[in-house]
Order: sequence, then structure tokens, then C-alpha cells
Amino acid sequence: MLRSRRVWWLLAALTALVLALAACAPANVQQVGSPPAAEEEAPGEEAMPAQEEAPGEEAAPAEEAAMEEAETIKIGALAPLSAPGSVTGGEAMKAAFEIALEEINEAGGVLGKPVELILVDTAGQPEQGVAAMEKLINEDKVVAVVGEYHSAVGLAVKEVARQYHIPVVFAETWNDDITASMYPEVFRIAPLSSEVAAVDAKFIASLGGIEKVVIMTENTGYGIPAAESTTERLAELGIEAVTFSADLGTQDFSAIIERIKAEEPDMILVLVTGETSYNFEQQAAEAGIGPQDIPMICNQVAGDSESYWKNVPDGNLCFYRRIGLPRALYTPETQAFAEKYMARTGKADVESYAMEAYDSLKLMAQAINEAGSTDADAIIEALENIEYQGALGTITFPVNSKNPPEAAGVEPKWWHQFPKPAITMVQYQEPGQDSKDAVVVFPEEYKTGEPIIPGR
Amino acid sequence: MKRRLVLWGGAALGILLLVVAPFTFLHQAYLVHIGIVALFYAILASSWSLLAGYAGQFSFGHMAFMAIGAYTTGLIGKFVRLASAPTGTCTEFPLGGWYLVLQNATGPNCLERGMAQMPPGSLIVQPPILVGILAGTLLGGIFGWLIGVLVLRLRRTYLALFTIGFSEILRVAINAEIDITDGPNGLELDPLFPNGLTLFGRYFEPTDKLPPYFVMLGLFVVSMWLMSWLASSRFGLFIRAIREDQEAAAALGVHVVRYKVLVFVVTSMIAAAAGAVQAHYIGVITPNILLILQMSLVISMAVIGGLESLVGAAIGAILLEFALEFLRRSFTIGTLTVDMTTWRLVFFGILLMLTLRFQRNGLIHPLLERITRAEALRETVAKRQAPAEV
Amino acid sequence: MLAYVLLWMVLWAMVGGVMTPRIYARKDLDVANTGLAGALMGAALGPFGLALLWWRSPKLTGRWLATPGVLAVLLFAAAFARTYPGNLCVSNGSFVVTQVVNGLILGLIYGLMALGLTLIFSILGVVSFSHGEFYMIGGMLVYYMSVVWLPGLNPLVALVGAALITFLIGVVFERLFLRVMNTGQVERPGEYAILVTFGLAFFLQYLTLALVGATPKKAPRFLDYPRLDWPSPENPWLLRMRAGTVEFLDTVSIATPRVTAALIAMVMLLILMWFLYRTWIGKALRAVSEDRQAAAVTGINPDTMNTLAFGMGTMLAGLSGASLVQVFSWVPWVGTLASARAFVIIVLGGMGSLPGAFVGGLIVGLVEALGAGCIPDPQRAAAYIPAYGMVILTLVLLLKPTGLFGREL
Repeated sequence: MLRSRRVWWLLAALTALVLALAACAPANVQQVGSPPAAEEEAPGEEAMPAQEEAPGEEAAPAEEAAMEEAETIKIGALAPLSAPGSVTGGEAMKAAFEIALEEINEAGGVLGKPVELILVDTAGQPEQGVAAMEKLINEDKVVAVVGEYHSAVGLAVKEVARQYHIPVVFAETWNDDITASMYPEVFRIAPLSSEVAAVDAKFIASLGGIEKVVIMTENTGYGIPAAESTTERLAELGIEAVTFSADLGTQDFSAIIERIKAEEPDMILVLVTGETSYNFEQQAAEAGIGPQDIPMICNQVAGDSESYWKNVPDGNLCFYRRIGLPRALYTPETQAFAEKYMARTGKADVESYAMEAYDSLKLMAQAINEAGSTDADAIIEALENIEYQGALGTITFPVNSKNPPEAAGVEPKWWHQFPKPAITMVQYQEPGQDSKDAVVVFPEEYKTGEPIIPGR
Repeated sequence: MKRRLVLWGGAALGILLLVVAPFTFLHQAYLVHIGIVALFYAILASSWSLLAGYAGQFSFGHMAFMAIGAYTTGLIGKFVRLASAPTGTCTEFPLGGWYLVLQNATGPNCLERGMAQMPPGSLIVQPPILVGILAGTLLGGIFGWLIGVLVLRLRRTYLALFTIGFSEILRVAINAEIDITDGPNGLELDPLFPNGLTLFGRYFEPTDKLPPYFVMLGLFVVSMWLMSWLASSRFGLFIRAIREDQEAAAALGVHVVRYKVLVFVVTSMIAAAAGAVQAHYIGVITPNILLILQMSLVISMAVIGGLESLVGAAIGAILLEFALEFLRRSFTIGTLTVDMTTWRLVFFGILLMLTLRFQRNGLIHPLLERITRAEALRETVAKRQAPAEV
Repeated sequence: MLAYVLLWMVLWAMVGGVMTPRIYARKDLDVANTGLAGALMGAALGPFGLALLWWRSPKLTGRWLATPGVLAVLLFAAAFARTYPGNLCVSNGSFVVTQVVNGLILGLIYGLMALGLTLIFSILGVVSFSHGEFYMIGGMLVYYMSVVWLPGLNPLVALVGAALITFLIGVVFERLFLRVMNTGQVERPGEYAILVTFGLAFFLQYLTLALVGATPKKAPRFLDYPRLDWPSPENPWLLRMRAGTVEFLDTVSIATPRVTAALIAMVMLLILMWFLYRTWIGKALRAVSEDRQAAAVTGINPDTMNTLAFGMGTMLAGLSGASLVQVFSWVPWVGTLASARAFVIIVLGGMGSLPGAFVGGLIVGLVEALGAGCIPDPQRAAAYIPAYGMVILTLVLLLKPTGLFGREL
């Protein structure tokens, strides 16, 4: 009896102690009236010299020593290889990395040394991404990092890259904020989420006669902002949009589909990824609002045609968005990579994230070669000036420290951003069609055929 | 007496090792990082072993309390401010000359609009991190009390299912209420020492690993001390009595309700404190931390370490965290490449099942027993042999 | 409006739930079900109902639980309709009917899975935390047998094969890991069982992931339905059947794979009932679940019955997965949500009660369909799907841990 009271007293005493400590702790204070920019700089000014000091004394010599001894050049790679991340995406990226690595080393490596790629799983989780980055930088001593698929991870990882001053080329993270924070270390060859939304909206408007769109999105860091920016773009074009969202892993969509039916949409846009998108698309088809009943933009995972037709047998006439050059405009590099990739994985086509992963690594290798050293600043400078011929076309980063967004007259999101990842709309026009035979229907410049609009 | 000495010596040695470790050859940011995470899991696993092993309360909601601690401090950092003048636009409460300001989750930022009208020179203060952590710990305790009271009648499987339900509801709600919690993107938190820290003339940056390591180590030592004191006192005796036979314990005068609730409160507070510190250290907290997978990690660590041994569970957690991190790579045997990212978890499952089946006391606990009892054994043997020689 | 009504109901339900057992105890009456009755009465009639209950303190028969229960649901529905007059669940009858039918069909299959779990519980006294993994494996096996290993194999044969294999895995696991519970080799067997089945779930899920990868899989439709119009091809207002969909009464249309899965579930239920009530082994199983010692005295070997029950339980999970792999895309982690749902169902129906699992499945199917269909905010409706069941679970555990048909604890 007595004892339990003592436990309570002890807890109370501990609480009091911590409270007392809390009272003494320094707090973050903001003063009204002073310009906000100046406030933010104040702690920064304090922190900056210390930051420069530390690597100057400790890290840099260690790094140099490591470099002289090292017989390989180490590049880190991030990809989701376990749930709850998108393992499908991660495995495709892994295959692409391996191909790129073989090519780099067959061509004599980088700076005359073979490249060693260290691929770490992020499981699509920010905290695991941070841990992976810590491991790559501190334990493996990589000189640069490439890859990643999930935006949530990208957002967390870019802070670590900034902290250790390690250049990163993101492959498939679409969230605008990743480049909008304008970190010198952060580059991206994936499209901007808002630009993808703009292409979706333009395509929807180009079909004509569409007044109401239902957006089926996933409840994630990719899905929610993507749905919001698509809604905005559609509103600019005078098209109404209603958003439904579901958790990844949802199996049964019948209740949601009935609600979508009752909205009487003219078109459906699916922003759910992975197997969840297949579940939705097939169930919508079974309920009579599938791609053969009203125009539907399926999720980009439909590009894996073998898996698509198995999971969505009633999915003919689906549109889907494709990142990367259309087949007719393949460069020799794209062609060569596509053949190797298909041979290695047995897939019928190359997913955009595989191309991006391949390019991110080869781009980084070229940048290190052009920099002539593994020093981060040199690599960043080389990346800013790079002109790289790869699977996605010619990659450049025109908005950079010499041409900042204010000077270029563009929004900060274009910082270190590959400006022209070709975004096309493709349509399956025959059941069981290979994705490489699917018809490019948008935009005009890449078109290989007219869209078939169901119900017209 | 001797055994006691060995125990204290062992504890002191262990703590000394943990204190010195980051200054030796192990001083690599990555290793220190795993060290922090390992200590975090050690706190969770040992507090879970107090709850499940000692008290027999098989809760699957331990991560939920941890998340409550983490989200509380995160949300305080995001929404709560102290202002020296009323903003007039936000929800606010006067507080002895100052105003406690709650920012709105939707719509235009009320604080920014309010600042335009506030007299120049008025101050807006973000509550210190420590207050957030403390509030998280308290709220964890309150929820622990609530759950403890609610599950009084439930035993074993029913309790396990109830706590799974609680944890899942919390996860889904955090996932869905994006305006408040930032949903699956994760809530961003300030670092533990947002302005850096100067100790013994050395300046540590906010991102430096050593200060958080020692904060987590301090929390670990305090919570281990608190829990071992509890476990070895009458409290520990009573909760074990309740575990073995609730009716019999009650008949012998143990206040069953009080002790059952109390053990929930204590362990939840410890979990919540660990969660709050960890969230500030990592800088982001996502609802995925509430997935059953994460809970199963903690349970496996406690089981493999030793379910009825606080120290065993803690050591088990530290070892397993390091093992899981270092197994996170693929290796090649001949032409066959084994990708360990998935296989390590397969082996983990097998290890868990085999430990349960053949080594119910875990793998670490029996070792500890052997070491601490070695002295006693020698003494006994010596005593027995001594008269024989005479 | 709805928010205030809900607040009122929850407030008085809490008062009723907490106070009623105390009042009954003070009057020296049986306190069984008083918490539930108080909560329902408080929710339905507020202080008036509670006053009546506390003043009269009647013996709590089913009527005293059912009437306020129905009233509370009606009150909630009325408030909902007043607040959201434009909501589809209020204004569109055929929408509601479709949701209900969809919910019931899925509920039937969920029920089949939960039946396995409840069977295991009734004989072994163990809730298997690896049940969802057997569901996943059942589906995977059908896919691999009918698509990869033996292309062209009749899916129904694959179904039987999957049932056999999941049965065998269950039997082997029981012999290796659960048998020791009865031999006194482990202390506190209840907790041991929770942990060891949990470990099995972990192992099976990651083993499957390592072996088959994460690419979604899906078996083709088991059966293509013939084209059928009834009563006449010109005006098929009663039934219109196509290869992919079946439409009743011009309003309710259901995809045929679901109908097939539901039919398989029905057939399995009938077979199971026949087995449990008409065969010697089935009767022996039920005897063990009633009274272990007494059954042993009559010459039934309870250990064998344990093994059999666990195998049958895992087989039922495997079968429900096997029948759904043609409906949903299949990945190694589909079992997680499914097992959570099975927990909800058996708790709701009453642990160890076979009819309970069946009814519980239907109710959970209904609640999920109506929840996702009726929640006004389209962003939240589907995001909360996993929580609906969990709310039921926690409420049932708090108010009536024995569920609908469970034996008293």
C-alpha cells in the first residue's frame, strides 16, 4: 500500500525536476517588428562558422586520407526495398543501378578507379531514409548519393545531404519542396509534381467535353499534394474535380466506387500507386465505370504491361502517364539501356523510375569525372554545368547558382531541376497490348495516334 | 552480499562503457546514430518487459504510447506559442501577463496575421523542447492510466486485441487528419538543441550526434534505475503475484487495481518520454511507427533478450538493433547473391520462434544469471568443500 | 447538429456504462451485461432511459439490450439524415441497397476466415496471430498453381490444393510449437501462444516476400458466367448476368468473381457444418471444445483434436484467401489487414462461437461498406476504413467482452 504511494511521489518529484530544468532551457524567441529574414539569419550566422570549422579540422583530412587509400570510388544509392515502401519500384531501380554500374566500370570507372555502389533500403520511411543516409556518408564514406523513390524520404534525406554537404541526385521523388528549398547539394531528374499535374490537366482539357473529374488518390506524401495541385490546374481550365483518398493497401473499393458513380464524373484520374491502383482500376471496370466506360487515366504503374493485364484484365483503353522519351524518339542510349533492362528483368518495357535510376547514377559518374575529384564542391559545380546524354534525353540543370531562380524569372522549385523530362500520355488500345506498342496520344509533338475516347 | 556487488559492479561497468563508447574508436557519427536508436529500443523493450514479463499485461499498444509522446511534443512545437501581447486572431488564453497562443490548423496562418497588428517589440516564444517532451511524457502517462483502467477486466488475448485496436485507431487517425498531423508525410520536429549546445567549452551543433546520445543514455539510465528499483521492491513482488494468480493476490491483500494501473502508467510514461526524445532527434515522426511490424520488433527484442529480465531485454534490444543494421546488405555465396534486406527479417522470425520454444527465458538473461551467480556458486562450493578438507 | 447529438449520446453512454454496474452492485443484483445495458440506454434515451434503468433495475434480458440498441442506431441515423440531407446514404435508396449487398458478400468471406480463427480458439484456447498469413499464402498458392506452375489447371482444383497445403503447414506448426503447451513444458501457455504465432506471422510474411517478390499477382476469374437475362431478354429487370457482372433488380450490380467467392464461402460453410455436426470427428472436436477432460475420458485424444483444429483453422483462412485472389491483387502483406479484421469479427461474434463468427463477419462487412459509403468527407471516408472495425473491437471488448454469442467468461 505504502509502496505505490512512494512510486507516485517519485514520479511527481521527477516531473518537478524536469520542469525546473525546462524553465532554465533556452527558448526560440521571435520578435515582432523585425524583418523575418534577419531573424532566421541570426542563428544561422552563429552556426555557420562552426559548421565550416568542424569538417575543416576533422572530416576533410580523414576524407582525403580515405580517398588516397581507397581503390574504388563509392557512390551511395537509396531505394525502397521493403514494405511499407514500394518494393516494385525499388526492385526496378535496383536492376537499373546494376546495369549503370556495369557500364560505368566497363568503361574504365571514374577517375581511373572502379565505382562501388552501395545500395541501402529506405522502406519508404523518412526515419529509415535518414538512417540510411547516415550510414552511407559516415560508414561507407560515399562521395555522392543517387536514387530514391518516395517523396517523404526525399524530403527528410535532403536535410542530411545539406548537413554533410554531400551532392544528391534524386531519381523519382516528385514533391516540389525537394528542390524548392534550393539546397546547393540537391539535384533532381524526376519531374516536378506540379508540372505533372499541369500535363494531366492539359490532357484532360484537350479531350474536350470533360466537365467533372474524380481524382482517386492515395493518402501519402505523394498523393495528397498531387491531387491538390491537379485540382488547382483543372480549376484554372474550368474543370471541376472531386478527390477521394484511400490508404495504400486498401483491397475493397466497392463502397468508394459506388460513391464515384453517384458523382457522375466525365473522367477518372488515378493517383493511387502500386497494387492498390490495380485493385481500384479492375473493380471500377467491374462496376461499369472502368476505362472502357469513361475515360480513365490509370496510374503510371500500368506501364508494366505484363503485371497490368494480369491484375486489370478489363483495363483496355486506359490512359496512363509515361515519363521519359516515347519509343519513337528513343536515343541510342535509351535503346541500349532498354534492351539490357528488358533482358535482365524479363519485363516488356522500361519503367520511368528505372530510367531515372539508371540516369541518376551515370550522371553522377560523369559529373565526378568532369569534376576531376571527389570533392563535393567540385562535383556540385560539374553537375551545374553538365550536359549528359542518357536514357531520359539530354539532362542539364539550367537554374543553378549562376542562374538563380530570381534571375531566371522562375519559381524556386526549378532550382537544380531537370527542366524537360518528357511527359506523355499513352493509351492501351487493344487488350493485352504490350506497353511498348501502346499509342502516344498527348502532347502533339510526340503523338503517334489519336486517343480512343470510350462512350463517344 | 557478493551477488549484489557483482550486480552493481556490472551495472556501473555497463554504464561506463556506454558513456565512454562514443569517445573511442567507435566515434563515428553512423555508429553513434545506431547507438541512439539502439538505446531507444532498449528503453522500449525493457519497459515492455516490465509490463508484459513482470506484470503479465500483454499490451501490443506500447508503440502507441511512444507515438503519443512523440506527437505531443511535435504538435506543441507546431501549434503552441507564448506571446507577450494578444494576437487577436488566434485562439489564445491569458497566462500571467503572457498569452498562450494556439495556431489554427487550416486557413491562413493566424499568427502571421496577428503579428501585423501586435505592437512592435512584442515577443513570440516557442515553448522549449523540454516542455514538449515533458508534456508528451505526461500525456503518455494519462493515456496509460486511461488504458490501464479500461483493460482492468481483460486478460491475455483480450488485452492484446484491445491494445492492437487502440494502436490501429490511433495510427489511422494520425494518417487521416492531415491538417493537424501532416499525415503520412510525417510531422517535422526541431532538433533536441535547436540553438546548439556549449558544454565544457566545446560547441555542439544542433545536428551533432553526441548531445542526443547522452540525452538518450541519461533517459535510459534513469528509466532502468526506476524500473529495476520498482521490480525489486514490493511493487515488483505484487505485480508478479497478480500475474501468477490475480484472485490469490487479491485475497492476500494486494490492491490489484492500483498496481495494475500503476504499472501501465509507469511503462507508458517511459515509452512516451523515449518517443519524444527520439522524435526530436530524428526530426520527423510518421504514423508508420505504429505499424504492427514496429511493435513486433520491440516484442522480439524483449523476448530474445529475456522477457522477465529488464537488463536482458535492454541488452537484447541493443544487440539486435546493431545486428539488424549490419545485416542490411547483400552478400554473395558463389554465384548466388542473397539480398539480406528481406532475409534478415526471415531469420529474425525464426530466431524469435526458436527462442520461445527452447529458451523461454531468452538468450541474454541466462547468460547474465550465470555471470552474476558465478561468485555465489564458487562461494557455496568453497563452503561445502572446506569442512571436508579439515 | 450531428456533432451535438453524438456528443450527447457518447456522454450519456459513458455515464450509463460506468454508473450502471455500480448501481446494480449496490442493489446486490447480477452485474453481468450492466455496463453494456447502461451504455446503450444512455445513448438511446439519455438521462430518462438511465433513470428508468436505475430505478427499476430490471433483470437484463435480451430485450433490455436490443431495444435501446436499436433506438440508439435510429437516433444516430435520424440525426445523420437531418444534418446531411443530400448524402447518398440518405437520398439514394439504390445506393444504400448496393452498399448493403456488397458489404454482406464480402462479410460472408470475411466470416469464413474468422470461422477458422474461432475454431482454433474454441479447441486450443489460442488466438492465432498468424491467421492473416495463411490467408495470404492460400491466395499465393492458387495463383502459383493455376498460373505459374501448372498453367491451365482448373482454379477450383488449385483451390483444393491450396487448402491441403495450408492445412499441412498448420498441422506441422501445431505439432512443432503448440503441442508443448499441453505437456507443461512451457510456463504460462497463453502468452507463449500469442508470441509464437506472432513469430510465425513475421516469418511467413517475410519468407513469402523474399521468395516471390513484391509484384502484385492476381488469378484470372475462376468462372465465366453465362449470358442470362431474366425474366426476358427484352426486360431483364430481375436478373442480368454477364461474364463479368451480375445485376439484380436493375440497381445492384456485383462483379462475378465476388459472387464466385461468396458461393465458395457458402459451400465451405455447409461442408463445415456437416462435418462438425454429422461426423464422428466433428462431434469429437465439439466435445473437446466443451470439456477437455470429459472428452479425454470418453476416449477422444485431445492432442489429436488440437492438431486437427489448428490445421482446419489455417485451412479456412487459406481457403478464403484462395477464393479472393481472383477478386483482389495479391502481395505478401495482404494478410495484415485481413487478420486485424478477423480479430474484430471473432471478438464481436464471441470468441469460440461458430455462429458468432458468421454473424460477426456479416456485420463487419456491412459496417465497412456503410462507413466508406456514408462518411460525408470523401477524403476521409476511405482513409478511415481500417479504423471502423477497430472501433467495434474496442467497444465490444469494453462493454461486452463475450461478444454476441460468446460463453460467459
